[in-house]
Amino acid sequence: MASNGLSDRVAIVGMGCTPFRDHWDKSADDLIVDAVQECMASVPGLERDQVDAYWVGTQGSGMSGMTLSRPLRMTGKPVTRVENFCATGSEAFRNACFAVASGAYDVVMATGVEKLKDSSFSGLTATWPPSDGTEVEWTAPGAFSLLAPAYADRYEVGDAQLRETLTHIAWKNHRNGALNERAQFRKEIAREAISGSMKIAGPLGVMDCSGVADGAAAALIVRAEDAHRYTDRPIYLKGMAFVSGSGAGIAAEGYDFTTFPEVVAAAQEAYAQAGVTDPRSEIALAEVHDCFTPTELVLMEDLGFSERGAGWRDVLGGVFDRDGEVAINPDGGLKSFGHPVGATGLRMLFECFTQLRGEAGDRQVEGARLAVAQNLGGQPGACVAFMAVVGTEEPA
Amino acid sequence: MHAVLELPATVAAADLVGLRAGAGALALALRSGAAIVAADLRTPAPGAPDELAHGDAAVALAPPRDGQPPAATVLAHAAATEELLDRWRAPGEAHPTVWDERFTAGVLGAALASAARGALAAAGVERPDHVVVACANGRAASAARRALGSDGADGELERLTGHTGAAHLPLLIADALDRAAAGETILALSGADGADAFLLRAEGAPGAGNRAAPVRAQAGALAWIAYDRFLRWRGLLEISGAKRPDPAPPAAPPSLRTRDWKFGLVAARCTACGTVTTPPGRACASCGAVDASEPVSLRDKPARVVSYTVDHLTPTPAPPLVVAIVDVEGGGRRSVQVTDLPAAGIAVGDLLRPTFRRLSSSDGIHNYFWKARPEAA
Repeated sequence: MASNGLSDRVAIVGMGCTPFRDHWDKSADDLIVDAVQECMASVPGLERDQVDAYWVGTQGSGMSGMTLSRPLRMTGKPVTRVENFCATGSEAFRNACFAVASGAYDVVMATGVEKLKDSSFSGLTATWPPSDGTEVEWTAPGAFSLLAPAYADRYEVGDAQLRETLTHIAWKNHRNGALNERAQFRKEIAREAISGSMKIAGPLGVMDCSGVADGAAAALIVRAEDAHRYTDRPIYLKGMAFVSGSGAGIAAEGYDFTTFPEVVAAAQEAYAQAGVTDPRSEIALAEVHDCFTPTELVLMEDLGFSERGAGWRDVLGGVFDRDGEVAINPDGGLKSFGHPVGATGLRMLFECFTQLRGEAGDRQVEGARLAVAQNLGGQPGACVAFMAVVGTEEPA
Repeated sequence: MHAVLELPATVAAADLVGLRAGAGALALALRSGAAIVAADLRTPAPGAPDELAHGDAAVALAPPRDGQPPAATVLAHAAATEELLDRWRAPGEAHPTVWDERFTAGVLGAALASAARGALAAAGVERPDHVVVACANGRAASAARRALGSDGADGELERLTGHTGAAHLPLLIADALDRAAAGETILALSGADGADAFLLRAEGAPGAGNRAAPVRAQAGALAWIAYDRFLRWRGLLEISGAKRPDPAPPAAPPSLRTRDWKFGLVAARCTACGTVTTPPGRACASCGAVDASEPVSLRDKPARVVSYTVDHLTPTPAPPLVVAIVDVEGGGRRSVQVTDLPAAGIAVGDLLRPTFRRLSSSDGIHNYFWKARPEAA
């Protein structure tokens, strides 16, 4: 029994990502076609028919593999639809990696798509199986808002300091997104506008919440030894882990809402595979799941970028700004890039891919060699966690 | 009620409805030894006189437990049934309609007098020590109180609670038992579809049989709310919040499968490690042991707030929606909707008690489950 991982065994050779927007004029079909076309175009000479198998992640914008094959009118190929809460896009990627690594296929594509703006509801919604009606309906902001007071209480952070920390996270991510044409919100937001925004849940204002957007993304994945057949600048998978929570945090006593144990476990496994022992000095940039500002704060500690209880000081000290020690969400994150659920995990990898290839333009993190994509779904106490470390170094 | 009390299936339970249901249930209970729960939520139209004169209440009367002395003995019951068009509401109608009370007061007054005479005669009592009169027709109630010698305590209570419909007779009896000394007699009258008269004798010290706080103390613990809030609670004023999907109604098969949890708040305690898991399932949330648990009721246990949030996104008739993570004394953690919020809200560490409430209504299904309310409320 072991989790042997895929360190240095697979590579991303091409990617595509639509702008994340209120795409009033595009359907999920249109978005996924856009992402696939851009992804194919990123590997000149490769024809779509040469891609052996496909994965498509969507939380609720389609059912079955035909979510991908029908809009493309693609015949004769296997397509697997996956769903894993807000980590759905990452899950498509993860399973595609296994398929090439096993040797079953030579070239595969992972895609993710979500079309959220055709519903007129505020926030995210989901359709659940019929139930006994006893589950408390936690909205996402309600559930994640539990992190902020719990963190402040445990580490004796005052209300004003906590507010300043959360504001900095939103401010930073909007500032990064302002430089990104593909981001949903492309302008800087004044700190006062963030801290004074209309309250949604607990201490969280609307400007502490990520953007609800439409979008799609795609990645072409091959075995590491084949990578240079497709591109001169492949990005290698150095470590990858996934942990599905038991939900014990909200089903039994003990959990204190200041950490995501599932993320900690996934990060430890992925770092170990990648040989990362000091994340803060070794990782150049990390795309993390900033669904709400306190989530990003807690993740800084869960991912080993900050000591326990020190994350808020590091945030305020600019450690995670784009020119800081670890650039967190240089593309704007869920906060400003937007969060089309099934596409988000692949969007994170898209930024890692872009940065590691030195193609990020105005927001380029200099000298980036190793990056993290961290994606989670569910709620504090009951979540699923994906973690990948990707890098430029050629496998030995 | 049957499910909430986790009564055995062999115990019968039935509903009685209508303004006379409180008196009817009491009459049936006398013959069968049943416990009765009388509850009413009055639905007069906004602006109708009864909006101020009526109120909501719930009262339970139970036979003595094994070996315990009774709070009271019923010496006699007499009825004076009358077919009277005084107050009616067709199925589906939101509010009742009332005939001119000056006319119906006379008819109900005669019925009350007749029933009272019958009960007193049957018990051989000439002058009861206490008289309480429950009648939705205020004129009839006042006249009967004067004629039969009420000391006015029933009217005083009614001014606090309003007439509480089917619960009103049991409510006035409970209040009278809070006041009556052992051996004193109580003539309790209900004027609805004619009249019922019960003659009771208090058997214990005042209030000895009352397992809750004294009725007058409960009725006097008033909290003022704005009228728009009252209308929202009653569904008479719909307000627009964030656009969110309607809550899904509960489905019948899962509701039956999990009835011990849904109605009785019975969780699972692991026989391997002792952890309480909610909702109960096959595996322990702590050690993962499968099919190794025993039922544990959380229904009567207080719980402490671990964390909570005020959710402005979910529409609710009683904003703000407060959802808390609570740890139950003796083991167990729940996510709960908090209700009966004090003006100051709640805080981490506060003690909450489970309370069986309506979570939502959709597709014509009222979804009841256990919320929590502050201990002091």
